[in-house]
Amino acid sequence: MKSVLTVRRRITVALALTLVALVAAPTLLVPKMAPAAEELKIALVVPLSGRWARQGQLKKMGAEMAIAEINAQGGIKALGGAKIVLREADAGDSVEKAVSAAQRALSREKISAGIGSWLSSFTLGVTEVAERLEVPWFTLSYADNITERGFKYTFQSSPVSSVQAEQALELLVEIAKRNNAPLKKAAIVGDNTAATVFFFKPLREKLLKAKGIEIVVDEVWTPPLADATAIVQKLRATQPDIMFYGATNFPDSIQVLQKIKEFGVKTPIQGVGAWLVTPEYVKAVGPELLDNIKTVVAAHPLKGQDELVKRFKERTGEPFMTQDPLMSYAHVWIIKEAAERAKSTDPKAIREAVSKLDLTSGPAASTLTPGRIRYDERGRRIGAAPIIVQWQKGEPFTVAPTELATRTLVWQTK
Amino acid sequence: MSVGDLLQYLVTGLLVGGVYALMSIGLGLIFGVMRVVNFAQGDFMMLGMYLTYFLATGYGVDPLLGAVVIIPPFFLLGLGVHRALLVRVTGGGDPQRLMDAQLILTLGLSLIITNATTMLLTPMPRGIKTAYATQAFVVGPVLLNQARSYAFLMALLLAGAVYLFLTRTDLGKALRAAADEPEAAGYQGIDVRAMHGLAFGIGIALVAAAGGLLATYHPIEPTVAVNFIVLMFVAVVVGGLGSIPGAFAGGLMIGLVQSLTLLVLPFQLQNVGVFIAFLLVLYLRPQGLFGQRLRAV
Amino acid sequence: MVGARASRLAGLVPIGLVVLLGLVLTLVLGERHHHRILTLVFVWATMGLAWNIISGYAGQTSFGHQAFFGIGAYVTVLLVVGVRLTPWLGLIAGTLAAVVAAVLIGFPTFRLAGIYFALATLAYPLILRIVMDFLGYQEVAIPMVRDRPTLFMQFKDPRAYDVLALAALGGTLLLSHWIEGSRLGYALRALKENEAAAEAAGVDTFRAKMTAYMLSAAPAAVIGAIYAHAILFVVTPDAVFGTLVIVQTLVVCLVGGVGSKWGPVLGAAIMVPMSEILDATVGDRLPGIQGVVYGSALVLMILFAPEGIYWRLRAFRPSRAVDTPTESAPAAIMAGAAGRSPGAPGTALLDVRGVSKAFLGLHALEDVSFTVHAREILGVIGPNGAGKTTLFNVLNGFLSPDAGEVRYRDEPITGLRPNAICRRGVARTFQVVRTFPQLTVLENVLVGAFVHEPALAAARARALAALAAVGLRSRVDALPGGLTTLDLRLMELARALATGPDLILLDEPLAGLSRDGVDAMMALVRRVRDAGVSVVIIEHTMYAVVQLVDRLVVLDHGRRVAEGAPNDVVRDPAVIEAYLGNKWLGRVAGLPT
Repeated sequence: MKSVLTVRRRITVALALTLVALVAAPTLLVPKMAPAAEELKIALVVPLSGRWARQGQLKKMGAEMAIAEINAQGGIKALGGAKIVLREADAGDSVEKAVSAAQRALSREKISAGIGSWLSSFTLGVTEVAERLEVPWFTLSYADNITERGFKYTFQSSPVSSVQAEQALELLVEIAKRNNAPLKKAAIVGDNTAATVFFFKPLREKLLKAKGIEIVVDEVWTPPLADATAIVQKLRATQPDIMFYGATNFPDSIQVLQKIKEFGVKTPIQGVGAWLVTPEYVKAVGPELLDNIKTVVAAHPLKGQDELVKRFKERTGEPFMTQDPLMSYAHVWIIKEAAERAKSTDPKAIREAVSKLDLTSGPAASTLTPGRIRYDERGRRIGAAPIIVQWQKGEPFTVAPTELATRTLVWQTK
Repeated sequence: MSVGDLLQYLVTGLLVGGVYALMSIGLGLIFGVMRVVNFAQGDFMMLGMYLTYFLATGYGVDPLLGAVVIIPPFFLLGLGVHRALLVRVTGGGDPQRLMDAQLILTLGLSLIITNATTMLLTPMPRGIKTAYATQAFVVGPVLLNQARSYAFLMALLLAGAVYLFLTRTDLGKALRAAADEPEAAGYQGIDVRAMHGLAFGIGIALVAAAGGLLATYHPIEPTVAVNFIVLMFVAVVVGGLGSIPGAFAGGLMIGLVQSLTLLVLPFQLQNVGVFIAFLLVLYLRPQGLFGQRLRAV
Repeated sequence: MVGARASRLAGLVPIGLVVLLGLVLTLVLGERHHHRILTLVFVWATMGLAWNIISGYAGQTSFGHQAFFGIGAYVTVLLVVGVRLTPWLGLIAGTLAAVVAAVLIGFPTFRLAGIYFALATLAYPLILRIVMDFLGYQEVAIPMVRDRPTLFMQFKDPRAYDVLALAALGGTLLLSHWIEGSRLGYALRALKENEAAAEAAGVDTFRAKMTAYMLSAAPAAVIGAIYAHAILFVVTPDAVFGTLVIVQTLVVCLVGGVGSKWGPVLGAAIMVPMSEILDATVGDRLPGIQGVVYGSALVLMILFAPEGIYWRLRAFRPSRAVDTPTESAPAAIMAGAAGRSPGAPGTALLDVRGVSKAFLGLHALEDVSFTVHAREILGVIGPNGAGKTTLFNVLNGFLSPDAGEVRYRDEPITGLRPNAICRRGVARTFQVVRTFPQLTVLENVLVGAFVHEPALAAARARALAALAAVGLRSRVDALPGGLTTLDLRLMELARALATGPDLILLDEPLAGLSRDGVDAMMALVRRVRDAGVSVVIIEHTMYAVVQLVDRLVVLDHGRRVAEGAPNDVVRDPAVIEAYLGNKWLGRVAGLPT
């Protein structure tokens, strides 16, 4: 009996030591942060592991590129050439982790401003932390409710979903008329994630009716989608003139596109969101399936941004540049400008500067439509307008509004 | 709704169910023989998808063939995992505590597999471009997606092979003996532990093959298991814990229920139909459609 | 452990210490995200404790506890958003909703057991998740209240959240402590160890499970609401109804140890900081590594301490001294429960009329009728497969007869649950002794004593008296695993006696006993009868039965073939034919008696 107890005791001690080592080792391996001359620290709270890690990585790439450029040009002049440092924190794949990441990032050291977090539920939680800790926060999330909470520290740079719906529809109706294919019947197909819901709601409730367009298919699913046949059956039966499409879950969206091809449905597809223009799409299903599909996004490389895109491709090896890296690139430049004007790294001062910002030139302004960066008292970017992007031969290009387009729009024929 | 439309719903449900069915047999075998609730089942499927993908893009092996080719390595992997880990938490002792211990063990395994894959292969989703993923056989008013049809047939073949193995071969009978009456089987000279390893190996191989078949039309990412693991458990229970034909039938049923629910409930509530069916089966016929009543534990 | 009132109060001391430690940490920790970790430890410890009530104490593993967690969170938050109701009141609404949900879920689901029960409970949060998305509640952000934030559970100082969660933890610890020492606690442990035996000993298992379920839903809802306000700030169906919640709960409980209130506390104290530290240190630099390390930690934990850390540590405590088996003179047997007179000898106590029961075409019992009188020992004998145990199962409520009825004290008891029948005065022992292996001998008997003595002290006294009556007073602290067959049967008999019966059904109490054991048992049965309790005894050992019983009933192939005095019955040709067959009939008839 006694020897068994001793063996057990030894094993338990060994177990305890192993666990302590497992937990302590990472702590020891992490290099201490060297105290540096005054730096401007920007937090990036995005998913870096889990289901949305890819999106987080893309945002990180954009931010890093901007920071490299700014630091190479001499940093923040008003602060004596202070360099910008990026502090990323992994939002993981749950709201709890995202909010924890924000708390961590913002309490570990003095953060002047932050960017994140891609998923609107994460953004809602993260901006609440930023609001409490009084650190200005930039997001590209589209959901209307992000800037309807009376927050002072949240800055939403994308046009909100309801605005996107309205303006995109205007553009589309016009383009359709020009192509002699007036829109009479529309389909609404997508999942029930927040951004999609916020876009579809005004469409369904007033916008389409106001244009005299009938909704012939209205199918919304809860991810994950088991099979797209039921939806595409209906599309085939009703032959709508346009299909509004919002499927943020990659496997779901692929399924629908594949099924559409299988059933031979030719309805022009109008996506809602930047999820539809990532490189993995074309790698997964090939350029033919995506050809001429359009989507509404908040940002995409515009006319005159070839240099920027080239630098990005060289730096990261990505085949093209999309909304996520573009937005975080712009956000870093906006923060830089605010810091220059505030002459301080204090987050409150930066927030003040952002609220008074009116940029008409520089990398940030040229990246985001309409070429002017201003935020209203809610934190929404004034004049933010959506962009329509279209896949052409395996790469997505800006096609509308025409003055910013890098390629001409090709109308999908039924 | 026309008859053609209705038929399409049925056919769609069956085709979707076919792959669920193959996924579920593996789980059903593992549970039936070892009484292990394998949380990591979906992750082994994910690994099967990746291996099939690499065979397809690296060596041009069609995924339908790839799904079969990966069976031996995954069988060995299953044997190895059983030997190294599961052996220590199965067989003998309080069944309640055993189930708890297996849960945590397989959960830990699932976390390791998913995260290691994310780190090594990056979270970028991949896809195998097959022509037949977007083509259909036209049978009257109904379209049968080719990829899913091939997957269904393969699933049927593999399930049939397993069934024959279990009922016609001596080894298969020994396996069933070890499952039903481990003590008696032991007295007969059957190495129950080895039988468990065999069952686990086969179960893992089957779910990996299911992954390979799934990869003909479904994108591959480290977290793909999340979408299927619950359905697998539901299918196994609905079909009958401990019955292989049951697990297969359960998978088909789940596919059908998913599809037919759309005729009754709003699209968003599609899976609610599945869970309600699940509850009904549990309440009205807990042993499932084809299972035997589990002896009181 | 059964202890006097003083030791119950002493049990509160560790709870107080833990709460104190929590408070100290709250005050001592400096950084905001450290407070978040502390709050999370309290949150998951509380959720683990809640889960432990139904899955640990009652042994009904649930995979669906996140349903209550999510209901608490959603109800509270929706009330804030919709009608601006303070969450302090909204909490109550959320808790009530969760308890109602527990009743609705429990009712159909408790009929299932083991993995079936667990999987059924899983369906509910899965459904709720989808429904919440469907209703448009994909993301419900808690509005930030700037004037009077405390009224809306919003605090600038993170320590307030720590205290809030700690209060919930403390409350749930107290609840667990109370359950452990209460009648409910013993009922739960008994039904967890052996549900049939618990039923036979008078435990209303369904009611006990339901009560436990309701008691476990309430703290889950409370902590869910606190979690939403302190940690999430925005409620999504996945965040509160999702699998991550139950996974975290399971991890915390299974690593810490199920079935004890300290398990979840230990588990949370170890696993939550581990996870957060991993996120904070390497997670940001090498995303994904924290999952690999955490998963490995889980695997290691369970390989080396599958029963949980708490139980592993407890195993190091020196074991109690083994009792010396000196049997003192058995004390008197208390007969009957308060208010019931034993009845004059000769009056009918149990009336079996035309009972039939068939299984898949096999007639186990066919039209069996007989009567049991007060103060008598009735023997039931018959060849193997005659239906004797089936008969007992019908009498005591485990089976319902297809035809016929059973009347006890002139009231019908057919179809009643075993625990109800036990309550009326019919006790039972089993062919293979059914113990509660993790409870001591005293606690085993205590379960039965609770039938008529709701208060712990009185029940304990009754249990001790019953044990004294059978001569096991010196073994009260032993575990059943260390007992001889005779002692086990004595213990089971004591448990039956503790329920205060007028009638005991003994199923082969002499099986497996030595000659001395048989004599001892027989003497005991006689004393039971003499004290006013009737006995119906199934036995095979003929010489013993014939000496012991007042009357005999003989069953063969489910039919009653004889009834009467022992001497007459054994000479009855039908009986001889039943036992030995036709061939021997002639031979035996000529044998001298």
